Amino acid sequence: MARTAVRPSGPGTGFIDPRVLGRIHNLELLARTVVDGFISGLHRAPFLGLSVDFAEHRQYMPGDDIRRIDWRLFARSDRFYLKHYEADSNANFMVVLDISRSMTFQQDGISKLDYGRYLAACLSYFSRQQRDRVGLLTIAGEIVDYIPPAAGHLDLVLHAIDRIEAGGAGTLAQPLFELTGRIGRRGIMVVISDFYEEPDAVVDAVKDLRYAGHDVIVFHLLDPAELDFPFEKPASFQDLESEARLPVVPGRLREGYRELIREHTETLSRRFVEHRIDYALFNTGTPLDYALFSYLSARQRLTRVR
Amino acid sequence: MSALAFLAPLFLLGLGFLVWPVLVHLVQKDRKEVVEFPSLMFLQRVPYKSSRRQKIRHWLLLLMRLAALTALIAAFARPFLDREDIALTGAQVAREVVILVDRSYSMDYGDRWADALAGARAAVRQLGPEDRASLVFFSAGATLAVRSTTDRTVLFAALDTAAPGTAGTRFGPALDLARTVLEQSNLPGRHAVVISDFQRAGWDGDEGARLPPGTTVDPVVVSGPYEGDLAVGQLLFQRNFRDGLERVETTARLVNSGDREVEDVEVTLELDGRPVGSAAATLGPNGTALVTLPPFTLSEPFMRGSVRVPGDALSANDVAHFVLSPGEGFSVLVVEDGSDPRDPSLYLTQALDIGTDPAFDVEVTTVGAMTAGDLAGRSVVILNGARPPRGGVGTRLREFVEDGGGLVVILGERSSWPADGPDLLPGPLGPVMEPEWREGRGGTLGRIDYTHPVFALFAAPRSGDLTDATFFRYRNVQLAGAEGVLARFDNGAVALAERQVGAGRVLLWTSMLDNYWNDMVLQPIFLPLAHQLVKHAGSFRPPTPSYTVDDVLNLSQQGEGREADRLLAGLAQGDRDGLVALSPSNRSIDVGGGARPGFLPLAEQGFYELRGAGGGGGPGTPAVAVNVNLGEADLEPMDPEEFVGSITSPDIGEAGDAGAEIGPEDRERRQGIWWYLLVAAFLLLALETIVSNYLSRKAASQP
Repeated sequence: MARTAVRPSGPGTGFIDPRVLGRIHNLELLARTVVDGFISGLHRAPFLGLSVDFAEHRQYMPGDDIRRIDWRLFARSDRFYLKHYEADSNANFMVVLDISRSMTFQQDGISKLDYGRYLAACLSYFSRQQRDRVGLLTIAGEIVDYIPPAAGHLDLVLHAIDRIEAGGAGTLAQPLFELTGRIGRRGIMVVISDFYEEPDAVVDAVKDLRYAGHDVIVFHLLDPAELDFPFEKPASFQDLESEARLPVVPGRLREGYRELIREHTETLSRRFVEHRIDYALFNTGTPLDYALFSYLSARQRLTRVR
Repeated sequence: MSALAFLAPLFLLGLGFLVWPVLVHLVQKDRKEVVEFPSLMFLQRVPYKSSRRQKIRHWLLLLMRLAALTALIAAFARPFLDREDIALTGAQVAREVVILVDRSYSMDYGDRWADALAGARAAVRQLGPEDRASLVFFSAGATLAVRSTTDRTVLFAALDTAAPGTAGTRFGPALDLARTVLEQSNLPGRHAVVISDFQRAGWDGDEGARLPPGTTVDPVVVSGPYEGDLAVGQLLFQRNFRDGLERVETTARLVNSGDREVEDVEVTLELDGRPVGSAAATLGPNGTALVTLPPFTLSEPFMRGSVRVPGDALSANDVAHFVLSPGEGFSVLVVEDGSDPRDPSLYLTQALDIGTDPAFDVEVTTVGAMTAGDLAGRSVVILNGARPPRGGVGTRLREFVEDGGGLVVILGERSSWPADGPDLLPGPLGPVMEPEWREGRGGTLGRIDYTHPVFALFAAPRSGDLTDATFFRYRNVQLAGAEGVLARFDNGAVALAERQVGAGRVLLWTSMLDNYWNDMVLQPIFLPLAHQLVKHAGSFRPPTPSYTVDDVLNLSQQGEGREADRLLAGLAQGDRDGLVALSPSNRSIDVGGGARPGFLPLAEQGFYELRGAGGGGGPGTPAVAVNVNLGEADLEPMDPEEFVGSITSPDIGEAGDAGAEIGPEDRERRQGIWWYLLVAAFLLLALETIVSNYLSRKAASQP
């Protein structure tokens, strides 16, 4: 499992769990989803006609997108074939990783920050496999580290991920606004955060990326303890970012907290969808490969209805 | 000043442990485990209010728990108030309470009895839960109706069935009984409630009755408005013999103790329950009057009569009962020498003939003509200047005396007592003495034992001067000692001596009762002296027309003319077995029977009938009359505080000593504060549990 994987000694390499990658790679569904949506080339390109190379034809199967039927071949053979393309590397893939102190929370297992590292590394790796230009932006109330997307920046990205030091607040607005001005070429933006802000503030910050033409995917990471609030003993709860303390009797407010966090995630999900932003809530207690698998499956379904 | 002390103060160290949860509570927030959490964004929305409630709830429960623990620790420390009065009389101290209720017949006056019952019930209701109470009804005597109980129902039931009696008031027996109950009690407090009209006549202050030290007394005075009282007092009976019948004239003494004159009071004489005559009387304020009622004939023994006045507020003394029987013959046999041509017994027989109480039946004979049969039925034999009979008659005479008969020996010139005569004299006879007293003016009686029944009648001033008589001759009598000598002449010679022989007695008068040896027979005192000599020799006792409530009739003591003799003589010998007395309230009282009848307590006003095994009843049945104590009619009260002061210990030192004996352990045990603290602790814990559960359920039900 990803949470228990032994990190290799090389920088960045420790984030890639071979078992995770193996499981995803062997799935037909993963292949379709990644090619069609997640990685430029396989994904339905936001900019059609650019940077695509023909790979092969495949017989039409019920359920395939009819827009991808090779009508010329149909004219010649009176049969339906779909065109498959090899992805090119001209798409930008940018991971925006929240490294604020709230991301360091871990109740049992790995922290949200580590989970986000793994996720960012996986996605970068896959993107690079699709020859995308990968980049990284770490934010903690402000931009901490910025690696612009480039074809050869995978090592830099992985190295930057490896040396991340958590700190600062988790506000998104300012760094994302700055990111919008820095990246002129439209691409895929993956935002990984625990989003401890009001939904309006989060959506307002993220939607600028969407309005700048990027395909935005939001990964909302939460620890199982943040979802279930399993604490029993009365204790003083300390905010990891503001270090404010609050005496809390968990049993008295567990249900109230669960209700608020559920309302928060539902609001985020609804608001992101309203702005055509993909949203996925990842529970760090869930194995990383399963999270990726679930997301890519959902991604595929979203692609079909587009 | 009272100070709180502790029997086991070391337990108070436990209070130090109470600080621990307080400190924990106070520093709980700081010492609480810190949990790092990504953001308090959501926690601050819901938990802030809950957290504040939590703190308030904690304070409430904490205070209750602390109070409970404090009470527990204080209870184990055994606190007590170091005050003597609280230890003795505090409401918390268990007390032995004796409630004394006066049920003398004066309590029947007006509303006094109802007030007394109300006071007694109030005293019962005021008993503490640990108190024990005894109920004593008293009049002339005292009865412990209820002994040392905590059951109020029993006390109330005893009060419900109580009623005023007919006896007078005497506080002494009641106080003695109360003292016994209080002394036997092991309770720390002692209290007495005396409910009475506090008649001064019931307490002379010198009865020695005193309650134990430390006893508190609460006098409850019941006295309503006094409107006076008319009572029938003493009855006097004048017997007259006419035409062989004995007629009795009754004189009643009436007493008006009111402040208003009572006019034309009708006084009624009843015989066997039927009015036979009446008279009117007028009594001034606080005055008395003698009323003579029409005479009646005593036709049968044990005739019952009553003298009655109209009823008033105090009805018990409105009637006086009596029982009279026809006079019994007091037979006297005068034995002369027979050789004296004069009538040596002239003065003596004349003196006895006019006696009415008793009526003497005198017969004169000579010693030579005397037979044993002459002694039958005699009460007294008088040897008037004669020698004793010889032979069988002499022996019979001794037996007569030994069986209770009386013998009066009057010594004269011819008196002699042969050596073989019966041994009856106090001493041997000597010669005739004719001393030269005061140059021939004769001698007088010198030393007289006025305490003796013969002379007691003359003991009072102006009751007759025995020394007026002049003596010229007497027979010398040699006595071994002074014992038995009742009177001596002024020269020391024996004038009158007495000897007890068996059940009878012998009186020896050493100077002839004529006007030659002395002039005694010419003195006014001769008549009563002769009567006294004969009555004493014959052990005469006047019949008792009435007794007083609470007297005891001793039927076991017979002889010497006692009342028992007359009463039992009215019953056949066979009826004396299983002798019972029927009280005025028709209650049968077993007084024994046969040879040893017992005692009959006279507790009720009215007539007591004596009945044997054969039943009986009706006219002629032996009976005694019982009247109330007239002293009870004097309703003058005394100061209750004076009474309380005289029955409680006036010695402060004694009371102080008694108090000093109460140690801290006793005080703590008597006050029992620890018990209340323990109860308070458990109540607090129970309340804390209820509150805690309620708050938990309430919090759980909240979203």
